[in-house]
Amino acid sequence: MVDDDQSVRRGLGRLFKSAGYAAETFASAEDYLAREIFEGPICLVLDVRMPGLNGLGLQETLEKRGACEQIVFITGHGDVSTATQAMKSGAVDFLTKPFDDVELIEAVKLALERAEEQLHKRRERREARGRVDKLTPREFEVLRLVIIGLLNKQIAAELRTAEKTIKVHRGRVMQKLRVTSVPDLVRVSQRAGVSPAHNPHKTKIN
Amino acid sequence: MKNLATPLELAGLGSRPQTERSDALSFDWRIASIGLSVALAYYLGAKIGFALTFRPHPVSVLWPPNSILLAALLLTPVRVWWVILLAAFPAHLAAQLQSNVPPTMILCWFISNSCEALIGAGCVRYLIDRPVRFDRLRNVGIFCFFAAFLAPVLSSFLDSAFVAINRFGQDSYWEIWRIRSTSNVLAALTLVPFIVTWSGDGIAWLSKIRRARILEAGLLLIGLLSINAIVFYKLAPTADSALLYLPLPFLIWAAVRFGSRGASAAICALTLLAIWSAGHGYGPFSTRSAEENALSIQMFLIVMSVPLLLLAGVIEEHSKAETTLREREERISLAAESANLVFWSINFERKKSWMSDKGRAIFNFGPDEHLSRELFLSRVHPEDRNAVDEAIERARASSQTFEFEYRLLRPDGETRWLISRGRYVRNDRGGVRELMGVAIDITEQVEADLQLQLQREEMTRMSRVSSMGELTASLAHELNQPLTAIASNAAAGRRLLAQGSPDVKMFEELLADVATDARRAGDIIHGIHHFVRKSEGRRCPVNLNEIVREVLRLLHSDLLGRGTAVETELAPNLPSINADPVQLQQVLLNLLMNSLEAMNDTSAASRRIVISTTCEANSSVAVSVRDYGSGLPADDADKVFAHFYSTKPNGMGMGLTIVRSIVEAHGGKLRAENVDEGARFFFTLPVARKSETREVA
Repeated sequence: MVDDDQSVRRGLGRLFKSAGYAAETFASAEDYLAREIFEGPICLVLDVRMPGLNGLGLQETLEKRGACEQIVFITGHGDVSTATQAMKSGAVDFLTKPFDDVELIEAVKLALERAEEQLHKRRERREARGRVDKLTPREFEVLRLVIIGLLNKQIAAELRTAEKTIKVHRGRVMQKLRVTSVPDLVRVSQRAGVSPAHNPHKTKIN
Repeated sequence: MKNLATPLELAGLGSRPQTERSDALSFDWRIASIGLSVALAYYLGAKIGFALTFRPHPVSVLWPPNSILLAALLLTPVRVWWVILLAAFPAHLAAQLQSNVPPTMILCWFISNSCEALIGAGCVRYLIDRPVRFDRLRNVGIFCFFAAFLAPVLSSFLDSAFVAINRFGQDSYWEIWRIRSTSNVLAALTLVPFIVTWSGDGIAWLSKIRRARILEAGLLLIGLLSINAIVFYKLAPTADSALLYLPLPFLIWAAVRFGSRGASAAICALTLLAIWSAGHGYGPFSTRSAEENALSIQMFLIVMSVPLLLLAGVIEEHSKAETTLREREERISLAAESANLVFWSINFERKKSWMSDKGRAIFNFGPDEHLSRELFLSRVHPEDRNAVDEAIERARASSQTFEFEYRLLRPDGETRWLISRGRYVRNDRGGVRELMGVAIDITEQVEADLQLQLQREEMTRMSRVSSMGELTASLAHELNQPLTAIASNAAAGRRLLAQGSPDVKMFEELLADVATDARRAGDIIHGIHHFVRKSEGRRCPVNLNEIVREVLRLLHSDLLGRGTAVETELAPNLPSINADPVQLQQVLLNLLMNSLEAMNDTSAASRRIVISTTCEANSSVAVSVRDYGSGLPADDADKVFAHFYSTKPNGMGMGLTIVRSIVEAHGGKLRAENVDEGARFFFTLPVARKSETREVA
């Protein structure tokens, strides 16, 4: 949690510990950014009004960094426009001091769940990406045509090669991506963010 | 003609640049034509003069050549006079050589004639600016004395001397002097004005005047000629001499209606007719010897023409002055209109009044309505009427200029702002003759000023309200920090206890933090008092009634907007207190806003706030704000002053806390109580002790 007020940091730190969370406190946004990136799920409890980089500024910076911290804002004076901006930028909650402890703990819990989820997705994507990266350019071409539902024959025609060759490529792709069925192949490709090929037959029909 | 032009070119114009040669040439021609016409006129004049000689009397009754010369000199610039004299010389020779006069005498006469013309023209030109006109009494007087009297009389001395030297004729020196003087005086009086007034722009003037005037002129001419014919031709020589004055009405008619031109023409006609008739033995001037006849007709004509010329001059001068005055008046009224100025005057002696058209429109007076003080006052706004009346009265009594600003209430209900300035003009006996002045419509400026003042007041109000709001907001933020910490610590403690593993050391720390934060919150609250006290240096003697009025002005639009009536019961002669006026404004503003909000659910008809000020035993003053709203919570009215206590859904509960702080910082007390159908807030403030007041003053 980041708050410029020491009493608040101490009080909230105790509260989070009593709720069973590992809490780390920072006196400013800059202090937090200086910390090495933690790989696990993070909930950031942020004061809006702080000297130096304020809460919204830190939120923006983190988004650019591509981090997956989930943010709960706490503020001494909750004005609507600040709250709206914070929520639009993906904050989990926006609480006005003094707040109910249960409310805060709930928000933190939700934030951590979301962070966990996000981390999981990211891990999956990274893994899928790793597998896709092992494909040769030719195999990648074949993959993009397979996931739009083309038959080996059609792929061969498209790539002007023998159906047999395609069959071999396809086998390698399945092996490298560690899948046994086409639906699994599509799922992994999606996770890795592979863009499907443009369907040549559909355009011909149309 | 060429002979005349060349010397001129050599003398005066030879040095002109070549480019202006055509100009110089045309100028030469003009000079030449002037010379020629003078020569011609001179010759003809001499002929007429010979014809108007009463035989056997040798001297002409009217000798025109001298006057023609004089008129020519009056009409031309001094630098061409020599041309005129030069041109007249051959004409003089030609005319005189026909009579049996020795050549030296002819030459001498030309010298004396030229002298007369030069004396007359020189004096007149020295005293009157060009062009010479007979349109002013002064001009006519100068002409009559210098040109028509002095010049002939003086030159006649010379003339008589020449005659004596040449031993010409048998008359004595004085005889010749007298005869020549009267003859030339008459000629100058009758002919010069006629030539001068008609030769310049006389023809152009004739073509410009209206047809009715021409008809009148014709009628006048016929009348004049016929009456002249009757008097000087038909009348028996023995007739009553009073009948000689029969032409007078026509002469006056000519002078009055046609100015110097008419008068000179009429005199000319009269003179020629009278002399011709007498010369031929008709009329009243034919009874005695030729010499006596000549003298009496000359005297008669001189006596007739001088007053007539003067009359014509006076009349022209008057009409010209009137035209100038009218033009000036028009210019002034034009200036007045463009400057929103109103001119007016009331003449008490002539019982006449005048006001410019624009003024009548502004004051809503009829075009012919007679102005009076009462009428004017009836238009003035009732609230300003007494002050204006008094100012006028003061000015009348002291003979000084008055100036005041006031409002006009127009029939359509519109109010206009004016400044009037004027004074009473007294007559010789010290009585009031005239009241005159100007008024300026300054409505637009005043309205702009008012607008500006309203804006300024609105800004003051905003700053009072927002400074209060900012204070509350910053206090809220400050307080939120320790409160959040305390709440968090408490929640943590509760959770730890629930988990059943109370770490004593940690609890000690926790509770110590809670205590610290609670103290900190307390300090912040004290900070409000501190904030309020910070401005103690700005204290000065303050009249609470003034503060009440000022705040009501600041809140005017809010009160209107909420349809709330405010009644004030302000104690007169309220002693002043020593306070910060801005903070007291904030106190009242807050209490009023509080009352307004408390009456949100009150029906519009009974929304009412009563503000009263009272003085308690000369030691303190009290202000009470009473509303007809929802009232205070029943249990404890004073709770409203507690920090963070608010009955409003979005209230911070700080406003009344600050109000109380301010009042207490001023050594006063703030109380609240429920009254019938509402609540009453009142505060007391101690009266400034004499010594303090003096110190401040």
